[in-house]
Formats: sequence, structure tokens, C-alpha cells
Amino acid sequence: MTVSSWRLSIRHRTGFTYDGQVGASYNEARMSPRDDPHQAVLDARVEVWPPARTYRYEDYWGTVVTAFDVHTPHERLEVTASSTVETLPPGGAAPAGVPWSDLAVDRWHELLLPTPRTTLDEELAALAGEIRGAYGSPHEAALAVCERVRAEVAYVAGSTGVQTDAVQAWRQRSGVCQDISHLTVGLLRAMGIPARYVSGYLHPSRSAAIGEPVVGQSHAWVEWWAGRWTGFDPTNGIPIGERHVLVGRGREYGDVPPLKGVYNGPPNTGQGVEVEITRLR
Amino acid sequence: MLSRIAESLYWIGRYVERAEDTARILDVHLHLMLADPWVDEDTACRSLLSVMGMSTDDRPLSAARVVGLLGLDERNPSSVAGALAAARENARGARETVSSEMWESLNATWHGLPDARRRVDQEGVHAFFRWVRERCAVLAGLTDATMSRDEGWLFLVLGRSLERVDMTARLLSTHTRAGGSIPSWLTLLRSCGAWETFLRTYRGSLDDRHAAEFLLLDRLFPRSVFAALSTAESCLAELSPDAGRAGVATDARRIVGRARTNLEFRGAEELIADLGGLLDGLERTCSQVNDAVSRRYFRQTSAVSWVQEAVA
Amino acid sequence: MADLFEDYRLGPGWDEMFGEPGMPRATYEALHATLQPLSSAELGVRADVLARAFLDQGITFALKGVERPFPLDIVPRIISAAEWAVVEAGVAQRIRALEAFLADVYGAGQVLADGVVPRRVVVTSAHFHREAAGVNPHNGVRVHVAGVDLIRDETGTFRVLEDNVRVPSGVSYVMENRRAMSHVLPEVFSATRIRPVESYPRQLLRALRAAAPAGVSAPTVVVLTPGVHNSAYFEHALLAREMGVELVEGRDLVCVGNQVAMRTTAGEKRVDVIYRRIDDEFLDPVQFRADSVLGVAGLLNAARAGQVTIANAVGNGVADDKLLYTYVPELIRYYLGEEPILPNVETYRLEDPDVLAHVLDSLDTLVLKPVDGSGGAGIVIGSQASDEQLAGVRDRLRRDPRGWIAQREVKLSMVPTLIGNRLRPRHVDLRPFAVNDGSRIWVLPGGLTRVALPEGALVVNSSQGGGSKDTWVLAGSSGSPAHDASARPLGVAPAGVAPPPDPGPGFSVPTGGPGIGVGTVPGPGDGAFAAQQQQQQQSGGGAC
Repeated sequence: MTVSSWRLSIRHRTGFTYDGQVGASYNEARMSPRDDPHQAVLDARVEVWPPARTYRYEDYWGTVVTAFDVHTPHERLEVTASSTVETLPPGGAAPAGVPWSDLAVDRWHELLLPTPRTTLDEELAALAGEIRGAYGSPHEAALAVCERVRAEVAYVAGSTGVQTDAVQAWRQRSGVCQDISHLTVGLLRAMGIPARYVSGYLHPSRSAAIGEPVVGQSHAWVEWWAGRWTGFDPTNGIPIGERHVLVGRGREYGDVPPLKGVYNGPPNTGQGVEVEITRLR
Repeated sequence: MLSRIAESLYWIGRYVERAEDTARILDVHLHLMLADPWVDEDTACRSLLSVMGMSTDDRPLSAARVVGLLGLDERNPSSVAGALAAARENARGARETVSSEMWESLNATWHGLPDARRRVDQEGVHAFFRWVRERCAVLAGLTDATMSRDEGWLFLVLGRSLERVDMTARLLSTHTRAGGSIPSWLTLLRSCGAWETFLRTYRGSLDDRHAAEFLLLDRLFPRSVFAALSTAESCLAELSPDAGRAGVATDARRIVGRARTNLEFRGAEELIADLGGLLDGLERTCSQVNDAVSRRYFRQTSAVSWVQEAVA
Repeated sequence: MADLFEDYRLGPGWDEMFGEPGMPRATYEALHATLQPLSSAELGVRADVLARAFLDQGITFALKGVERPFPLDIVPRIISAAEWAVVEAGVAQRIRALEAFLADVYGAGQVLADGVVPRRVVVTSAHFHREAAGVNPHNGVRVHVAGVDLIRDETGTFRVLEDNVRVPSGVSYVMENRRAMSHVLPEVFSATRIRPVESYPRQLLRALRAAAPAGVSAPTVVVLTPGVHNSAYFEHALLAREMGVELVEGRDLVCVGNQVAMRTTAGEKRVDVIYRRIDDEFLDPVQFRADSVLGVAGLLNAARAGQVTIANAVGNGVADDKLLYTYVPELIRYYLGEEPILPNVETYRLEDPDVLAHVLDSLDTLVLKPVDGSGGAGIVIGSQASDEQLAGVRDRLRRDPRGWIAQREVKLSMVPTLIGNRLRPRHVDLRPFAVNDGSRIWVLPGGLTRVALPEGALVVNSSQGGGSKDTWVLAGSSGSPAHDASARPLGVAPAGVAPPPDPGPGFSVPTGGPGIGVGTVPGPGDGAFAAQQQQQQQSGGGAC
């Protein structure tokens, strides 16, 4: 039996524009996929405008970071990450997982704690309790949470911002993949299931034509631990497969922002994100 | 040395000189205003403030207000009290380089400022200005005796010399501007502490040409514009010795050198004929040199405030 | 009148000077013999000189924004060579264990995988900075300077109260105290062989140099201070001065391409080692607080890239978390295979509900400390707290057991202290300072003894209004040098009297000694000359 992996080429361009000249700027990009059980990275490069020397390292969460600083005056900053990755389809049958009583493992304690964007209010905490009570196994409950969030929260591009948290997204019943993932992670943790926020890319089409560049997305999804780490895409309601390319994981967006930094200069007038994905094989 | 420390020392030199020279100018001119019955106080005050680079509103001016603005206002670095406070603040940040005696002297001077108001009320402005001149003299003496002749000292003396050129030019311009009573050359010489020296040098013949020559060109009298420019020039030469075969190492030195030669090689008659223009030119020179020095030696000494940004 | 020890009553803590009333312990015999016959007036005079010396030098401590002199009590605290040997070994042992822990926790995490310390303790520590993961110092040292706070319990045994491995301060007081005391009590110094403390800056500089990045043979070291408004600025300036290195603020440094340089009048000069006295949170706006104007953007990545060494390392705070403190004895056993030389104070971890219940029941015998506190802030001493305070702390313990520890209230040891014009026992603690240069850990002989000045007060931190004492470690009879071998006298003075300076014109040279530049010009004091002048005056007058 041949395993049908995909080979994807990704070009992710993002950056900032300013209302005038910026003197100095220090940034970190988390835009490079990494080797993982479900993917192999064949090539990953990051280029910067204005040109700057880059420094690569792996952070605490294992995400590849490209750090750089710019000291020539500039009115826009642009980072382009290009990578080629081979991805595998989703694994076999769903694992049974461990029972509720075995979830509080010291090793994953960090992924059980609430964080700024994943803290719940009373209503959501009650929802978590309700779902937990309804399912015999954590794994099933986790799937149910994903389903419930997907059903209730509409995907509406532009309805939220980088700072939006889970409670806000729930209250307005709309958000983007980042918010849906934060909400899901928050509910999972409230049920006692260690959960991670994952940042990466998604090829939009199941039947991707080979060689055709399409507009892709910077995407977010979740992973939970019920005996072993399982990934799921709550925004699209699908398991993680060949269309997903993983960049980094953490407790929430704040641990894996694609591009963040500080600069000395006039206000930021905008930011852009462009992702182009091509299936090569 | 650290740019920030060099800048602090440069400004200590400037502020202390400013305090002393402003005290001298005010002392002389306020006395004149009181002594001369034909003087219109408002016009004279306005003229004095404009020479010192301070804009005025339409409210009537009086000697008391001038004392308040240029003598006692601690928040204004152009006033005597403000300059002394600023000098002390700079010394605080550079405490490790300024000798402890210099720091204590500046600190004690600053602590004595609240008494200044009292001194003005009780003993008159002259007593206050005399106190300021004495405190500045103490500091100059300590600078002389307790500072190594290193880079720090060079920056301090550079600042002091530049300020001296600027302030002496302002003092002289009180003579050239119309309006209000015109201080005589005798008055100007006295306010620089130059009267006795002048007499010895020119053996009693006080005429405009000699007085102007003395205050502008005298090589030996330290408060002359020429002497101050030369000192500034030699500080700059020591700070950045010339590397190549042609020209001088820094813009600042070029500007100062040109100003100095301008004075040195033009006759006194020629200079006096265009005294107003000359003095304006000197004030401009000082600010150009200040900018050139800051650009070259004091790049980015203040803290940067950063703005955070992130992309979804 | 020898009235200093009048009405001196022992207790409640172990008295360091007196084993029984009027019977000084061997260590304090000499000091007691000096003080006993003095009158309070005599000692008071010396104490005043001491206070003035500090004020004149401007040694102050900013308490709540106001600068005031840091009171140095005139009675020193003395530790015998044998007692000190235990402290020295115990402190060094502790630092070795904490170094290993920090390398582990920001690296492989073996200590967590092996369950010696629960991971949850580490990941919930406020100062566990994930940004520091993977930053490996070239010589492996993360704790270049440590201050381990010790107390002596009711039996006189030294116990560790807390570890400080982030930005420990106070060593400048140790050096200034010693300087002041040697001026005011010179006769006691010459009679006693006390181990000197003046070599601290030299030791620190050596350790900082040894911490330089790979390939740097003549490292440039700087001291990074928040600035003149910081309450410990005096110490930053003193250390920079004594080490002969530049004192810089964040704005003097710039990081370009992971290389750090300081802005000088001759352009940018590379910096290799930064002894920083700024907290992690303010150190690098890229990684931590972006609103910090005290730090240097890009500094942490420069350290990560091995281009600069930050001393002490970023993230050390996880090791001086007060909850982690309760695990340090286990860490010593785990990493070093040794038994702890210095015991902890008995401490309760409150996350266990049974323990919490027991603690809540016995608050009046316990001291409650926030896990995160420093400078003694937030500490509640059960036996001294009001009902309201107890209710408040009870509430906080229930809501956030991870944020607190409870310790048995130890009656700290006591040393006679000049209160008014009598000597009275007051509680003290001790902060020895340790410097790690990568090959050995050097412990400053003595350290900062802090004394709680109000009667019965147990909190001795300087920011809570305490004072200090000079701390004397006696040189052992085993031949350890009483003076630093490197402090040799500068040659021998010539015998005989030196020639007097030139008197100048108008004065004759005093007779009886060899003179330089003997002038033959008669001066005004010269008898013949004066007589002539007088004659002139008399004859010149003429008849009126």
C-alpha cells in the first residue's frame, strides 16, 4: 500500500507599512515549517526587506525562529518565507486514549493552564463541564468540543483582531481560525485535557491541482493529549492531513506569532499577509 | 568615553558658563536701567530679552519681570537658575566622571537657589548675581584643579568656550542694537571683568576701537571672543587629531577655525564697521558647531522608546 | 561609667555574644573586653563619627524614594573560622546545585523527567522565562553572583532562609561598612585577625572575564545600571569603579546583528560581558516588556548567539522561587550526590490540601511568604499579625496556594546593638555573597549582616527600615593569611626626616635642618630687616 503524501511549496509574505521612516527595528519570524512525524521539510528559507542578516534558532516550543534587525531607514518591512514540505495524510483509526482519571500528567501541566487568549468566562466554563460530563472518554469529548465550536462560531474573515480572546469570539459567535482554535483549546483545558495551539498553513483545496499556485492561508488548529497528541482542525472540522503544514505549537497565538517585533518610529499604517501554496506532487 | 557622559560634560560646561555670563549681563544692564533716568524700562527690557533670545508677549515689562524670567526661572535653561539646575542634573548622570568635589559644588549651588529669591528680595539683585559669579568661579577652579586633562575635560572646556563666544556676542550686541540705553564700552568691559586688564593693556585710552578690539580679538584675555574660539578649536583638535594630509578631521573644527580666522585676519576697523553682522554670524557659528559636535560625538544618547507590532 | 550592657536581657533568639548573662562566647571575648569598660558616651561618640562618615560620602539607600543614610551599627558581628568554614562550604554547595538545576531546566529537563521537581512547580514560576531556553553560556556559569540569605536558629545552627540568584545586591554595604569601621575602631582591628573583604571587586572582575564568549581573549566588561534614580545605583557605580570598567545604561548600548556595542565618542566599541543590574523583565524589549526604556533591544538573542554574556543569566529567577527553595536539598542530593551542608528552615508547601489545612490552623506559629516577593514585602508573621491581617492572608492562601509558602517562625539569633545609649540584643540575618568563575565558587568572608532595629522585629530587609553590621570572619589559626597576599606594602620608607618644602621669597628657612633652596634674601620676619623698617618709620615721621 502506498502512502499518498503530498509535496507542497509555500510562499508566505508578510510585513508592515509605516507612516514615515522607521529608524531601527528588531523582529522575529516564526514562519518556517519543521520536521515532525507528519511532515518532512525539504527546504525552508526566510528573506527580509530591507536586507538584513538573519539568525536562526529553535525556541522553547521547538518552533524555528528567524530573528533579524534592521538599522537602515525604511518605510516598509517585508518578510518572505519560502519552503518545500512533504506531508502525510491523517493517521489510521482514532486512538482510544486514556480515561479521564489519567489526564493530569505532570508532564503536560503547562498545557492545562489558562492563558490570556484562552481564559474562559462562566458561561464557557459551564459548557466545558457539560460536554465533559456527557462523554466517557476524553478523546470523544474533545471531538465533540470541536464540533460544537464549529457549529456555533461562524468563520468570518476580518471580524476579529490579533488581540481577540476566546470569550470575545464566543460572544460574537464569529471569528477566524485563530479565535476558533483559542476557544477550542480553552474548552479542552477547562475539561482537564492538555491542549496546544498550532500555527501553520492550509492548502485550501482537497483536490489540489498539481503545479497550480493557489491563494492559501496562514492557519491555526489544535492538538490535545488523551494518551498521545492528536491534531484536529476545528475551523474546517477535519483531522490534520496532507493539506496541513505545521510551523509551530504553543499555549496560544502569543507563543507562535508569525512575525512580531519592536521598532522605533511613526505609527504602523498596515500589515499584509499573502500565502501562496502550490502542490508539487 | 561614553557619548552620553561626554555630552553631559559638554553641557555642564555650557550651562555653567551661561549662568555666569547671564548673571554678568543682567547685573550690568539692570544697574544701567536703574541709574539712567532717560531709560524707558519697557523698551530696555524688551531689548535685553531679545538679545538673550527670549520672545516676549505684549504685556508690559519691568526689571523685576526680567529678573524673574532670566534670573530665577528654574524651568528655563536660558535663565541663571535654570542653567545651574540643568548643570547639576547633567552632573548627576555623569557622577562617576565628574569629581566628587565638583558634584558637591554643583549640588550645593543648586541647593542654594531657593535662598536666591530671598537674596533678591532682601539684598537686591546685585547680591544674587555676585553669589552666582562666585559659585561659577568655584566650579571653574575645581574643574581646573580636580579634573584630569582627558576627553571629559576637553568636552567640558569645549562647551564652556562655545557658550562664552555666544554669550559674549550677545553682550556686545546689547551695544549695537538700538532701543533702550546703549551700554558704553566701559560698561561692557566691566561686565566681563575686563576693565582693569584693558586699562593696563591700552594704558587708559578708552575708545570704541580699542574696546571692541580687546573684547573681540585679544589673544591673552580669556573672555575675548578670539580667545574663546581658539580654546574651542584646540579642544576639537585634541579630540580628533587630523588623520589625512589635507583639511581637518571634523566639521566642527572647520567651522570654528573659519570663524577664528575671520576674526584674526580682519582689522579691527573692518570688524567694528559691521559689528552687528559679525555678532549675528558668531551666534550662528556657535549653533552650527553645536550641531556638528552633537552629530559627531553624541549620536543617540537618549533612551529609545519601542513600539510593538505583530502579524496574525 | 561602664553602662553599655546595663539591663541586657537575653533572648528570645540565640544570643551570639552571650552563652549566659555576662559570659561572652569565645568568639566575642575580645570584643566584649573592649566594649564592657566603655561608657555609653564614649561609644556614642564613635557611633556618631561612623554615621557622619557615611553621610559625607553620600552612601544612602533610597527608602520609598527618599535618600537616607543606611544605618551601620557600631557593634560588629563576629563569626569564628570554624563556623565560617561550614557556611562557606554550604553556600558553595548550594550554588553548584542551583547551577546544575538551571542548566537542566533551560535545557534537557532531566530533573523534571526524573520527577525530582514536579514540572508544574517550574512552569508556574513567575520567573521561569521560556525565552531563556537554549541560551548556553560559554563557560556554563549562570549564577555569577549569588546572595544566599542565612539565619541562625534557636540552637545557633546556620540555616538557609532563601536563595537570591537574580540580581542580588548589598555587597557595596559590606565593603563600605568595613572601611568605615576600620577608621572608627582601629585598635580593635589591629588586635583581631579579620579576613578582608576588599578583594570582592577583583574576584568579580575575574569571574566576569572568565565568562567571556568563545574566542574573546581580552573581554570588555561593563556594568549595566538602570540609572541614577535606582535605589542601588551607589552600588553599581562603586563596583564599576573598583573593577575599572565602564558603567553604562541601556541607552548607551546598541545591538546590531547580535553584536553588542557601547556608544563612545570614538564610535561604537564592542562589549563582551554585561554585568547587568536590571531585572529580566526590563532587559530586552524584544523578548520582554516592550515599554522598557532601560534595556537593550536584541540583547537576549545576542547572548543566545554566543556573542555576549549576560551576568547573571536571564531566567535565574526560577531557582530563587520560594517554592523551589523547598526542593533544593533534594537537588543537592540529585546533582551532587551529597547531603546538604546547610539545612533549610522547615517549610510547608501549600498545594497539598492536608498541608494547607494544617497551616491554616496554626498561622500564629508560622511566617507566610509570597513565593514571588523580594525585599521582605508581603511577609506576614503570624504571631505578630492582627486578626484582620490573618484573615486576609488566610483568604489569599486558600485562593492561591501555589503563590505562598509557610515557614516555622524561627527566633533569629541576636547580636548586641547600640539602641539609644545602651546595647540591646537585636535579631540578625546574614547574606554571604558568592562569585562563580566557572572553576570555583568564591565566598566573600563575611557578608551583609542585617539587623532589625525595632525591638522584637524579625524582618531585617533594608527596604523595611533595618540596619546593618560589619561582619567579621576571624582568620583561622591554621595559617590562612589575615591579609590578602596581594596587598603588600609599597616599599620601605627612608629613614630620617624629609626636607621641608621651599618657603618662597620673604621667609627665611627654619634652622636646624637641611634645607633645599636656601635663600639669602632676608624676609620680613628676619630681625635685622624688620628693625630697619621700624627705624625708617620712626625717623621718617619728622616733627609735626
